[in-house]
Amino acid sequence: MTTAQAIQKMERPSASTPYFGMLLFLVSESFLFGALFWAYYYLKVKSPVWPPEGVHLETALVSANTAILLISAASMQAAILAIRKGHRKRLMLALAITILLGSAFLAIKGWEWVHSDFRPWDHAYGSIYFTITGFHGIHVLGGILLLGALLVRAGRGLFDARRHLAIEVAGLYWHYVDLVWIAVFATIFIIR
Amino acid sequence: MRNPGINVLSIGLVRAVPAGLAAVAAGVGLAVLIRRAVGAPGWNPGPVLAVGTLTGILAYMVALGAFNYWVRWILAGKRPEEAETKTDLPRWARYFSFDLDHKVIGVQYLVTALIMLLFGVTLGFLMRYELTSPGRTIMGPNMYNHIMSLHGINQIAMILIGVSGLMNFLLPLMLGARDMPFPRLNAFSYWLLPPAGALLFASLPAGGFDTGWTVYPPLSVQAPLGMQFMILAVYLVGLSSILGGINFLTLVFKGRAPGMSLFRMPIFGWASMATSLLQMTFTQFIGMSFLMVLLERLVGMAFFVPSSGGNVVLYQHLFWFYSHPAVYVFVLPGFGIISEIIPVFSRKPIFGYAAVGLSSLGIAIGGSLVWAHHMFAAGMEPWLRIPIMITTVLVAVPTGVKVFAWISTMWMGKIRLETPMLFASTAIAVFLIGGLTGVPLGIVPADLYVTDTYYIVGHFHHTMFGGFVFPLMAAIYYWFPKVTGRFMNERLGRVHWAIMTTGFFTTFLPFFWLGLNGLRRRVYDYDPSDPFQTLNIVSTVGAGLLVTSFFLVAINIITSAIWGLRAGANPWRAKTLEWQVASPAPDENFETPPRVVDTPYGYGRPGSVHAIMSTGGAEGDN
Ligand code: HEM
Repeated sequence: MTTAQAIQKMERPSASTPYFGMLLFLVSESFLFGALFWAYYYLKVKSPVWPPEGVHLETALVSANTAILLISAASMQAAILAIRKGHRKRLMLALAITILLGSAFLAIKGWEWVHSDFRPWDHAYGSIYFTITGFHGIHVLGGILLLGALLVRAGRGLFDARRHLAIEVAGLYWHYVDLVWIAVFATIFIIR
Repeated sequence: MRNPGINVLSIGLVRAVPAGLAAVAAGVGLAVLIRRAVGAPGWNPGPVLAVGTLTGILAYMVALGAFNYWVRWILAGKRPEEAETKTDLPRWARYFSFDLDHKVIGVQYLVTALIMLLFGVTLGFLMRYELTSPGRTIMGPNMYNHIMSLHGINQIAMILIGVSGLMNFLLPLMLGARDMPFPRLNAFSYWLLPPAGALLFASLPAGGFDTGWTVYPPLSVQAPLGMQFMILAVYLVGLSSILGGINFLTLVFKGRAPGMSLFRMPIFGWASMATSLLQMTFTQFIGMSFLMVLLERLVGMAFFVPSSGGNVVLYQHLFWFYSHPAVYVFVLPGFGIISEIIPVFSRKPIFGYAAVGLSSLGIAIGGSLVWAHHMFAAGMEPWLRIPIMITTVLVAVPTGVKVFAWISTMWMGKIRLETPMLFASTAIAVFLIGGLTGVPLGIVPADLYVTDTYYIVGHFHHTMFGGFVFPLMAAIYYWFPKVTGRFMNERLGRVHWAIMTTGFFTTFLPFFWLGLNGLRRRVYDYDPSDPFQTLNIVSTVGAGLLVTSFFLVAINIITSAIWGLRAGANPWRAKTLEWQVASPAPDENFETPPRVVDTPYGYGRPGSVHAIMSTGGAEGDN
């Protein structure tokens, strides 16, 4: 391999060290959510009625919320594509939209939490329900903070078509959090 | 130490400790005010101190400087690194600061681990002393339970920390890298540990906890406040372990020197790969299971309360799904060390390189499928028993591969019995006993007979000493010259080895007989008419020797670091990369990346070379 080839290889984002590190982090996070899903299904299998009597889930609202998160995945991808071509303004717009959608998701989730007709301490179902959605929410919040930091940096003109690894890596994280939500949604609201 | 040129505030720890303590107080105050505001009684130690702990750790990290780089990265110019390279601190002060060099961090980890080890074995001796006579000897039953539990978790945490320390110091050097791939994350992982240690120590005055290290609910939900301290401490150690695992695995896959293909790595590289894989994945399970206990304690959640639809066996599944693989987290690096030392001191290539390397992965994968053998007697799903029994017995196979490979490596070698080799070969014998006594425990009918007796305690102390403590001692004697440029005192080392080995067997071999005769583990008292006292006294005498030996090695480390004989770059005539640079290892590790051409095990083969160094270090040195 010539030096030029070697440098080119280094520049492919998916071959870079930070990208690899983020992938490993997401594998690790999958075990965190894996533990939560294990707990959910274990409790479900061991319970005669699941969810317990009197639990009412806001499936329609949560489906709409799911759509919001999925749209944010598209805007995140738009941000990545924009900066790959070097469009800084479009990058900032797409990041801002993603942050707004993420925040809307959290706000709706929070409303649903406050208005749900069961509490975490009522029964095991309530405990695992709030823990799973809570952990996912923390991850969305982390993503929003991360994207906010990148927005500040983008505003200072620190990203361009060649140097924007952080955007790619953050995109990976954001898509992962979406994917986890789909699993959460399927588990709690579809399979139940 | 007085040093005119240096501003004490440039030492991280000097800023971090007061900031952390102040923030604990602030967090507690804030929590009380909020509770008052929502109409709850202001003082409730559990939640209030939980908030205080979190704010304290955050402020401590900020004051330490852990986030400086990131703030600058977000807000400012292109090269925030320039602002932070503070090698202008004198060497000793770097050990107390947020330093990024993997060698400094490795030593920080190892010293922390050794301090915890000394603390833990002292607790172990106190327990043994209590058991010399039935009834009260030196402490009451509650105190015994607290000390027993603290001993267990302190030792487990110590092991995880020690493993990270060894990998930190050795892996970048062995793989020919400049540093870890994520040096700031690496320093962050270390600095989570001092607060964890402080929380563990503080758990005793906070009321202690009496669940053993396993924290089974419902007992753990009712245990005193010390439980919460311990859970938070383990959470920090776990986080550190996860982040460390990600860092090491990235190093193994992305940071190797040119020419260092996977199958040219030292065996320690394979061991670290398998270990970090386990660390970064399964640790999430213990984190989650402990967190669930904490949520039950603080918020009143009901994961484990049967009357609310909860299930206690769930806890045991989640806990052991981590905690069994956890034993491989420390056994594998221990095996890696043995595999490095045996060839050097036998002057022969390691027998079956590929088999030894791959068996690490085999152990890691097999080891993750055996968790439920800790639950045979716990009311677990009966259909799980047979599959788990089979997988358990199967994990013995890759382990056996390693033992045979070590013995074949020594076979007909030119063996030099210096201290590293003494410890490494003793480790094999000790681990062999631990492993062989473990197989019957995997067999359901035999396990039901001895479960929760001293037989188990004997078994796991053999695996932990053979798999980690003896290899750790070997590693200290072997790599000390690379850390300090000086040898450990060889004569004191041999005395240490002799006392430690006799002490160990005298302490822990009687456990098997005690257990088979029915002495239960985790008990404070036994019936005077039972035939336990003699063996208990023998074991306690051994424990006295054993604890003494740990203090001997501590003395040896301190005195040798100051007065030890000077060692050259490669005193053991080893071939791995860390020995091809000066001792102590220079700041930049390698002037230019070495070019690797073969495995590092060509001992006794004339002209065999592991790597070509730019300065011409590794010539055929047999
Ligand atoms: C001088 C050395 C040591 C002595 C005398 C000692 C003694 C003991 C004793 C008597 C127990 C059983 C307590 C009971 O069941 O009532 C125990 C438990 C334990 N020891 Fe040690 N030990 C020593 C070193 C170590 C080391 C080096 C490790 C780890 C590397 C370790 C890890 C553990 C663990 C995990 C437990 C289980 C605690 C529990 O039941 O929750 N010990 N030790």
